[in-house]
Amino acid sequence: MMRPSQIALTTFYWAFIVYLFLPLALMVVMGFKDSNFIGFPINAWTTRWYVQVFQDTAVLQAFGYTLLISIASTALSLVIGTWCAVFLGPARFWGRALVFAVMCLPAVIPGVISAISMRIFIRAIGLDPGTGAIILGLTIHNVPFVALMVLSRLGAIPRSQVEAARDLGADSLVAFLRVTLPFLFPSLLGASIFCMLLSFDDFVRAFFLGGYQPTLPVLIFAELRSGMSPAINAISTVVLVVTAALGLWAERGTRRLKGTRS
Amino acid sequence: MHRQSTIARFTDVTKRFGKNVAVGRLHLDIAQGEFVTLLGPSGCGKSTTLRMLGGFETPDEGRILLAGEDVTRLPPNRRDVNMVFQDYALFPHMTVAGNIAFGLELQGHGRGAIDARVSELLELVQLGSFRDRMPDQLSGGQRQRVALARALAREPKLLLLDEPLGALDAKLRGQVQIELKALQQRTGKTFLFVTHDQEEALTMSDRIIVMNAGRIEQDGTPEELYHQPRSRFVADFIGETNLFACQVRGSEDGLAVLDWNGILLRAAGSPDGRTSVEAALRPESIRLSTERPDQANALRMRIARRVFKGSRIDLDLEAQDGDVRLKASADPAAIEALTGDTVWASWDPARLAILQA
Repeated sequence: MMRPSQIALTTFYWAFIVYLFLPLALMVVMGFKDSNFIGFPINAWTTRWYVQVFQDTAVLQAFGYTLLISIASTALSLVIGTWCAVFLGPARFWGRALVFAVMCLPAVIPGVISAISMRIFIRAIGLDPGTGAIILGLTIHNVPFVALMVLSRLGAIPRSQVEAARDLGADSLVAFLRVTLPFLFPSLLGASIFCMLLSFDDFVRAFFLGGYQPTLPVLIFAELRSGMSPAINAISTVVLVVTAALGLWAERGTRRLKGTRS
Repeated sequence: MHRQSTIARFTDVTKRFGKNVAVGRLHLDIAQGEFVTLLGPSGCGKSTTLRMLGGFETPDEGRILLAGEDVTRLPPNRRDVNMVFQDYALFPHMTVAGNIAFGLELQGHGRGAIDARVSELLELVQLGSFRDRMPDQLSGGQRQRVALARALAREPKLLLLDEPLGALDAKLRGQVQIELKALQQRTGKTFLFVTHDQEEALTMSDRIIVMNAGRIEQDGTPEELYHQPRSRFVADFIGETNLFACQVRGSEDGLAVLDWNGILLRAAGSPDGRTSVEAALRPESIRLSTERPDQANALRMRIARRVFKGSRIDLDLEAQDGDVRLKASADPAAIEALTGDTVWASWDPARLAILQA
């Protein structure tokens, strides 16, 4: 017998699940509808939208371009974020809390604000909107997430690990590369997947800082404005499946790594 | 016998953490080939002393010499000492062989030489078949041995061991103590061992340094510490003890005569001109007999309580008027030989240690 509070909680939970997945399910279903109009009823099914998407060079180019930008910004974010974490982790100085807050700020500043300010900034330093600008914008946004994830893992490394490496003849750099970095690996893996997802999915920064070449979200937006074709549902479904799979795999993988390595 | 050479020397070393003095004006010499134990309660400065020798803490004052070289400010990677950590600190992402090879690789040996040395060390700690295991596939005792092999790999001048047996269960610990001591004798290495476990210290050490509040309380062989404690702290910390608060009455036949609640006792030490002293006596130094023994210190006492401990029986003794009590410990055979509950308790004056402080 469930108590009323339990019944209420269970109901709310399932209501939330429906609210979360129904729009996604609709999108997926519409991607298989054999008609130029999105909406019910569905009289015939087709996979032609997928064929069309995979033959559309504009889509493929945008996909590749977005992937490139995501990888570049993720790599940059990993280096800078890890550096920040290693710098801040053991440090005890006056104003550490302030430095920490500043480091986290890009994660909470609204995307539009940071994108506009970045646009003004790159103009001021003589950089044109385009690939480099997008990568910079995304990196600034990603760094706090990397730093926070690495910091939490860094707090879990026993002091004796690094001391043992030093004791056995490693200088501080070798100790970092051969002992600390492998220990951080699960959080670096988690952080890089997270950065990839954040970057791949980003619209605002790509829109404000981009040049003539559109990223995938920007391309989808442009296609939406020129009339909603069911092909958009097909693109979106592919992106959804790939990112969800990646996210779930990373979540499971990092949890298992942390379990055996700590 | 030639004098042993000094391998490590602390000269007037002080280490503070904030306002707290962890180690104060420490002087300590460690000879080549010795098994030295730093013994004391937590916070006594024993681990800090060890860590200063390892290079993990820098003294605020004083100097540390290693084989004649001043290493006071050298980082750990530039000192010829290695450490077995309390939690072993094995690298979780490396195999057993990888862990042991780590220090050798950094010395720049070739692959073949490293492999041979790793095999040799694995044999030494009897883990030959565990070469490719990961640390999380080993038991606590096996991990401890890998940590030992890893620390010995670079042939350190001195091996530092920071409570390495603390994580093992009691039975295994006893076995590892013997193994460790045998290994030390076989390799002829100098071991500096830190523990808060007095039994462990007594079992393994050539020399024990008892520390308290950042200072050395006593430095001596296990036998000296046990039977001739210099201070109440040492007497209390190591084993069970009977403490006697006594007035000094003089001396006779080279023995000090002490008045303990009106009972005259004789002790081999010197009260150094004091009029009142404390003396300490181990429970198992007390002999029990039915007949009056021919001994300077002999008291007629009643057995008030017996506690069976297996190999020994602990006894509470009371003098007949009840206000004088002693703790004694004897093996069951000695107790069985007694008739009646009233016995003679006696002890050698050499076993009654006059405390210096």
